[in-house]
Amino acid sequence: MKSSLKNMVLVLFTITAVSALLVGLVDNITKDTIAATELNAKNIAKFEVLNAAESEAVVGEEQVFAIGDFEVVVSTVVSKSDSNIVKGYAVEAPSITRSGYGGRIKLMVGFVEEAGNVTISGVKVLAQSETPGLGANMTQPGNALEKSILKKNPAALTFEVKKKNGSFDSLTGSTISSRAYVNAVETAYAGYLKAKGELDETKVVGADSASGATNSKRAAESEVVEEVAEDVDTASGATTTEECQMENNVTEEEK
Amino acid sequence: MGKLQLITRGILKENPTFALILGMCPTLGVTSTAINGMGMGVATMAVLILSNMAISLIKNLIPSKVRIPAFIVVIASFVTIIGMLIKAYLPALDASLGVFIPLIVVNCIILGRAEAFASKNGVFDSALDGVGIGLGFTLSLTVIGAVREVLGSGAIFGFSFAADVMPLLFILAPGGFLVLGYLMVVFNKIAKR
Repeated sequence: MKSSLKNMVLVLFTITAVSALLVGLVDNITKDTIAATELNAKNIAKFEVLNAAESEAVVGEEQVFAIGDFEVVVSTVVSKSDSNIVKGYAVEAPSITRSGYGGRIKLMVGFVEEAGNVTISGVKVLAQSETPGLGANMTQPGNALEKSILKKNPAALTFEVKKKNGSFDSLTGSTISSRAYVNAVETAYAGYLKAKGELDETKVVGADSASGATNSKRAAESEVVEEVAEDVDTASGATTTEECQMENNVTEEEK
Repeated sequence: MGKLQLITRGILKENPTFALILGMCPTLGVTSTAINGMGMGVATMAVLILSNMAISLIKNLIPSKVRIPAFIVVIASFVTIIGMLIKAYLPALDASLGVFIPLIVVNCIILGRAEAFASKNGVFDSALDGVGIGLGFTLSLTVIGAVREVLGSGAIFGFSFAADVMPLLFILAPGGFLVLGYLMVVFNKIAKR
């Protein structure tokens, strides 16, 4: 079609108006369904980390705590037939002091109490943007990180990777992602303790970053840079060639 | 041009990744595993078929000087709407393809085909062109993803056979460029025969 000022303005205006109208309309229709599906997915994650059947459990009380600038949500999951029977606690927590390779990660961690003994019953990754095939392997069931803490008492864990004399096996080639994961589990445990009123405030994770978002962000950044130097020598034993490490370094520094 | 040729052309002669060199950004970004490459390819194909048809339908109403912005608006709203619908009614599909859908908006293959083919051809032919180019894109991404996964993490489609002994380089961005380059050479060598 030949272009004139009049038909160009008219056609562009009509197309944008119709498009905006359609997008708005579909958004209106799907908004509630999307919210419901997301909430449902989160609730299913809560039951999953506690190994509780969806048919027998309901989410009871939800407590929200602020740790540093971040929110930790502790949900009490109770039996459907008797709300006094506590099945366990599902804690939604982000990594605070350590960022992953692609940003913060968010976990759902389940804590179950049996005869006074607390154990980690399951971990599910809610949000992560780690490298697929590397750090993103943390989402796979039965990965090294999850395996090393499952059914263990969190009070007896050291929240570091094995390389730093901690209790967590790290994912192959993904030290930074693994540390963020460890940190998120630690945050979740702090949230759990807080919900039980047993938290020793002096040991709060991320207490040093409570001063403000910019500070904690800066801390996380400088940490990543520090870790790059360490990672060069440690990665060589496992898998990487020298050339690869250098490439590795470049990409990590760019982050 | 035969109808079948419209489809095969997208896989070989006008393969978007290896021959037209279009859509490099998603290609390098998502191909660290074969299944991710495949997911991106399939999602792109779905959008491409629909957007080709939509553009072909309205092509006679758009003045030629403003066709590019008009196409972009149509494609972007299209992708957004599809993304919202999938999120609301097909959560399982959203879990596997959801991350790729916003990326498709910026995929130049979609705009490229709208401009080069759909704006000059009928609705049915445009749909077939979408199928062909989409298949070509899916196959290329799956191959690149498979090669990177095998070389980088010793696995194929998630089934690990030699974990922990392969060079990580191939999972990271530089390895993506290397694999893409060598596959391009191989592909063009074969396609030229």
